Amino acid sequence: MKIEFWGQEFKVNMVIGCIGGFLIAVMSSMFGFGGGPFMVPLMTVALRLPMYLVVGSSLLAIFFNTSISTMRHYQFGNFDLYFFLAMFPAAILGGYIAPQIAKRVSPLVVKRVACVGLVLLALNLLGVY
Amino acid sequence: MNMRKGVVPWLFAAMVMLVGSNVAAVEGEGQPAVQQAPAPAGVTITIDKTELNNGGTIKVSGQAPAGKPVFLEVWAADHSVRANRFDSEVDKETGKRPYIFYITEEMPAYYKIFAPKDMQAKIDAAKKQGRKWSYSAVLKDLGAEGAYTVPAKTKIDHFQSTLMASIVGSRGDLLPAMDDKENRKRSMQLVKARFRSVDKVFAADVDVKPDGSYTADIKIREGLSPGKYKIVAAVDKATKSEAATFENKIAFPLVYLDNAGTSLNIFYPFLLTLVVAIFGVLMGAGGGFIMNPLLLTLFPALPHTIVAGTVTPTVLFSQGSGIFNYSKIKFINWKLGCSIGVAMLLGGFIGPKLTEMITLDQFKFAFGWILLVLAALMLWQTMPAYLAKNKKEQAILKEFKKRAEEAAKGKN
Repeated sequence: MKIEFWGQEFKVNMVIGCIGGFLIAVMSSMFGFGGGPFMVPLMTVALRLPMYLVVGSSLLAIFFNTSISTMRHYQFGNFDLYFFLAMFPAAILGGYIAPQIAKRVSPLVVKRVACVGLVLLALNLLGVY
Repeated sequence: MNMRKGVVPWLFAAMVMLVGSNVAAVEGEGQPAVQQAPAPAGVTITIDKTELNNGGTIKVSGQAPAGKPVFLEVWAADHSVRANRFDSEVDKETGKRPYIFYITEEMPAYYKIFAPKDMQAKIDAAKKQGRKWSYSAVLKDLGAEGAYTVPAKTKIDHFQSTLMASIVGSRGDLLPAMDDKENRKRSMQLVKARFRSVDKVFAADVDVKPDGSYTADIKIREGLSPGKYKIVAAVDKATKSEAATFENKIAFPLVYLDNAGTSLNIFYPFLLTLVVAIFGVLMGAGGGFIMNPLLLTLFPALPHTIVAGTVTPTVLFSQGSGIFNYSKIKFINWKLGCSIGVAMLLGGFIGPKLTEMITLDQFKFAFGWILLVLAALMLWQTMPAYLAKNKKEQAILKEFKKRAEEAAKGKN
């Protein structure tokens, strides 16, 4: 498939894109996260698209996934209103505060901290400790 | 106030003793703290208070026929929760995997059987079996089958799942209702599926004296559902006491989560989300990745289906605002996003179905590996080789974004 973005034309292998997107969608909706951190590498590495094209479009793609999985989770009665009301304002507030802090911290440090944190969480879930 | 409440039943008991056998008529006149079943061969039950504040200890005492074990069945009468289980274990008789999905909406939010103290060893033995313990086996081992009544009466739906049904994201075909015996058997598996650990559903706290009188200190833990709870003392299926009722009260900021079946301080998830959301934006990933496992670790009482199902809509809005911001400066390729989006739509349709088919342990196991992969991705993004390449990419990204912003401004 050919797409045009800001005056440049790109060829996209839709077979890889769709299969990858499908798998990421199953996984992320099953475990209740967005899927962005998997989607961006898929589009940059596997589809060889430039970052500036990927940032917005990957968000749009996972938005499809998140909205349908929200509906399905709701349908299965997995949604708890009070719990949601406790988390939702905090998420919005966090979205406002974060850009203020972002100017002062290096993304590299954040990523390294995240890396350690994720490994710790993962080991906890796997019951290692 | 509390003092008086504690004293009244004792005064009443003293009166009964003084006036003797003539007060049978008076006894019926509601003293809520004292409830007695008059039948001589039956079991009596008395509880020392009728109100708890987010858990606590209740003293239960009474009289049962001498020489028999006494079991206390305690359950939350006001709130029920969903329990489900996907049966994919090989059937011992036929050797086939049944793939049947059992679900009930009527499981009490709290259910526990208290056994005589001398049965502690049997409960410990069940604990040693780890995750593989069987509710029905423990029940049988304790001889508490007569006390098990409430979950047995819940309405359980069961569905025949097929691979095809799972692919289209349906639960499968609804099978005809089970008979009472089968319902009872399946309800035991659902009790385990819901409450998971032996500790949550069994305890050996009843002190039975040789003459048949018994006492027990029942601990109701924190973070349970509010409302009325009932206690029935049972010796066997036919010999039971009346139900004694007490109320568990919770107050703000503790809030009862109806679908999750637990109460928790509402500020904790708020603060947690705030921190995770900030961190999520900084590291360039949605908060869902960290939010889900953290919630599971910090609030073990929350079912994984609820966690996944409630975090998803939270993430949805941050994505929506992101798309809105990018679309203002025309920084989204709609054709690309929508094409891959359609494939993701299918995936997102199936995923939530799978969430309820797996157990918490499977959920944790899979999520653990996903996080490891994600950590590897993050690590790769901090590698020098990636950074060098990324620097160029980021520069181009900024350049294009600037152009886009200017273009958008120019139009206005």
